[in-house]
Amino acid sequence: MFSALLYLKLTSFRNWLRQRLRRLRRPKYLMGAVVGAAYFWFFLFRQFYGGPGGRTPLAGMPPISTEGRTMVAGLGALALVTWVTLFGWLLPGDKPGLGFSEAEVAFFFPAPVTRRWLIHYKLLSAQPRILFGALFFTYFSNRWSFLGGGAGIHAAGWWLILATLNLHMIGAGFVVARLTDQGVDRRRRRWGLLGAIALVVVAAGLAEWHGLHAPGAGDLASLATIAHYLAPLLTQGPLGWVLWPARLMVGPFLAPDAAGFLRALGPALLLLAVHYVWVLRAETPFEEASLAQAEKRGARIAAVRSGGLAALRAPTKGRRDPFRLAPGGGRPELAFWWKNLLSTRPYFNLRVFGGLAAFIVLGCHWLGRQPDFQEALPAIAMMAAGFAGYVLLFGPSFARQDLRGDLGQVDLMKTYPLPGWQIVLGEMLTPVSILTGVLWLTLLAGAMAFPDGYAGFTPGVRAVVVVAVAVVIPPLCLLQLLVPNAATLVFPSWAPGPRPRGAGGIDMMGQRLIFVIGQLLVVGLAMLPAGLVALGIVVGIGLLLGPIPAVVLATGAVLLILAAELWLGLKWLGRRFEQLDVSADLQA
Amino acid sequence: MIEVLGLAKRYGGFTAVRELSFTVRPGEVLGLVGPNGAGKTSTLRCLAGIIPPSDGTARIAGHDITADPVAAKRSLAFFADEPRLFDYLTVRQHLAFVARIYGVAHHEAIAEPLLEELEIADKADQLPGELSRGMKQKLAIACGLLHAPQVIFFDEPLTGLDPLGIRRMKDSIRRRATAGAAIVLSSHLLHLLEEVCSHVLILKQGEKIADGTLAEVAARFANGETGVDLEEVFLRATGTSAP
Ligand SMILES: Nc1ncnc2c1ncn2[C@@H]1O[C@H](COP(=O)(O)OP(=O)(O)OP(=O)(O)O)[C@@H](O)[C@H]1O
Ligand SMILES: [Mg+2]
Repeated sequence: MFSALLYLKLTSFRNWLRQRLRRLRRPKYLMGAVVGAAYFWFFLFRQFYGGPGGRTPLAGMPPISTEGRTMVAGLGALALVTWVTLFGWLLPGDKPGLGFSEAEVAFFFPAPVTRRWLIHYKLLSAQPRILFGALFFTYFSNRWSFLGGGAGIHAAGWWLILATLNLHMIGAGFVVARLTDQGVDRRRRRWGLLGAIALVVVAAGLAEWHGLHAPGAGDLASLATIAHYLAPLLTQGPLGWVLWPARLMVGPFLAPDAAGFLRALGPALLLLAVHYVWVLRAETPFEEASLAQAEKRGARIAAVRSGGLAALRAPTKGRRDPFRLAPGGGRPELAFWWKNLLSTRPYFNLRVFGGLAAFIVLGCHWLGRQPDFQEALPAIAMMAAGFAGYVLLFGPSFARQDLRGDLGQVDLMKTYPLPGWQIVLGEMLTPVSILTGVLWLTLLAGAMAFPDGYAGFTPGVRAVVVVAVAVVIPPLCLLQLLVPNAATLVFPSWAPGPRPRGAGGIDMMGQRLIFVIGQLLVVGLAMLPAGLVALGIVVGIGLLLGPIPAVVLATGAVLLILAAELWLGLKWLGRRFEQLDVSADLQA
Repeated sequence: MIEVLGLAKRYGGFTAVRELSFTVRPGEVLGLVGPNGAGKTSTLRCLAGIIPPSDGTARIAGHDITADPVAAKRSLAFFADEPRLFDYLTVRQHLAFVARIYGVAHHEAIAEPLLEELEIADKADQLPGELSRGMKQKLAIACGLLHAPQVIFFDEPLTGLDPLGIRRMKDSIRRRATAGAAIVLSSHLLHLLEEVCSHVLILKQGEKIADGTLAEVAARFANGETGVDLEEVFLRATGTSAP
């Protein structure tokens, strides 16, 4: 019975691997893979593990006390319970299925196999993922030497946690489906669950009332005192009971040595077995739900191919036009902007932007007149600067309603009578406008909160500088977005596509990091000439004519240089788009 | 007007289409037939400028598709076998978008009757996800016809349509041809092709076996018999006829 499963999984894996390897025959993919692997080797593994097989203990961490261990177990249990409650019970829709793919539904559901076989199939096919996850986590946790316990204990412990978690999520799905069948729809389920949580919290509060006190300075003095404060909270009373099964789950992982591991193993295995029996015994029909789910997943995969990650929430209702696309002639780029705005969240609109701007202005104004909050404004200015940096760094990875989202429609777009650069430019306008909006609001907050007269900024100079920065932001965003879009056109097969849940992991993360670094490099290089010229003008003209004309002139120069660079970049990307061979590059 | 000269398409070392030449004049409808994998879709995708041909040239309404793609694409429409739509745009928004891309003025005046004709007018504010496959196809067709193309490529246009849809599709194809469009369509539904096509081209393993008007091609494989239909011709030409 399982030979079929084994055959399916092995051949699928082999073909997947073969396809990947075949792709590496093309030099650009080979180069990318080498760079990616080197990156991982040098930056991630070595940094975390001090070389191959090495193990750098966290510096200066003494072995953990028994009380500390109890606290860690309690915190881990709390995290697990929260996670399970959220994703297993609270958030799922009405009919969670077993997560079969469309092909699996088509082949297995009409096949002469039992329900039990299907469940076993699903459990076994989750094993590679669980094993990989256990190894992956072990890599990280191996460094927590203060826990004691070797790599073997960690790996086995992680495996137990992940396997039990997997079973629990399936069982929860069954129960939720059955509840739905019995008329408890998602709203009632959620309210009921929230009520139960509130009850536990209240009960815990009442039960611990006398012993409960807000943590004082003495409690937070050191790890030992924190543990002393937290450990009883997490292990006694109603909260302790709720967390008890989860504490059993993390027990083997937290064992300091082999003997402790064996002692913790029994209860954990028992928990696993109980879960297994629970899932197997659940008489919930999952076939119909799985069918609907598979269809939805298929639709979602298609949607992700065409609409970016935002499409993970499959659209159900058409939206109003973001702005009026006047009939007749007009820049075709605007049509792409209009189209991609439709694929974003509805709150990316001018009304929300205006409301936030008004809120920022009024809020900062109010804060400025409160004597009690004198510290607040400089803090806000600092935070705004930090946030702007974050948006500049990672914004392009989040706002991806551009070529990255439309990769699945490239063949359609290639029939459009437009030169490539126009399509590329039009496609990038939506993320540019979103990032610009966010950055403008941040700039507004920073400017409003900027202390008067600080560093010689008179109100006049401040206003001019703010306007200058505001004007430079859109071309800067465009420049940044050139990088991920270029990567998409050069490595289309690597574009983050839809992945079954949990299969993302390390390569995704690596790619993101590589993109961010590449983006930094490119933008840094591109900004270098503009920055030098601006600096020269500000210093030179500033001495002659004063700061305001200097800033104005420098902004003009920066804009000119950026425009030239953007023009070159767009031309190049446009040619890449025209030359993109969808038949060769968009396979799988 | 479509002029194809020595077109070839290779995928890596595999040749999907070789040395293909043909001409379709305004008013003509060419039926592209061949067994699965013969290279029909590859040919049409090359002609529409979606994938670059490995060899040869194709002129669409007088413009070379590789040298001057923008001008060529302005006068062509391509309909893929699977309708390609944007998930976030309603039916009406699709038309507005395409109108701007092709610079069509007053698209509402064209779009409304088109939607009526295709019987999806009552779905104007729905997303593709809520449409049936046939309706999606109709929407894709409405989008493609908005700019009144002179050259139209259909890849399997009839699969998925209901009988009435097929009838209308045939009428629509004939009407566009009469209005002066040059049309190429690939299909396996040979009896339907017979009704709309003026010419056929038979492909097998990327090579042209025969082309010409329906009568010419039929005569070539008739062996003196009369009343040989396209199906029989197809089977004989591709060498799969039962003995
Ligand atoms: N992207 C690709 N990469 C490699 N080979 C391809 C690719 N696309 C098509 N082929 C091959 O090219 C040949 C022609 O394919 P094509 O899709 O043009 O056939 P078709 O005539 O449209 O077939 P059908 O009637 O099934 O639609 C086939 O052998 C196919 O395997
Ligand atoms: Mg085909």
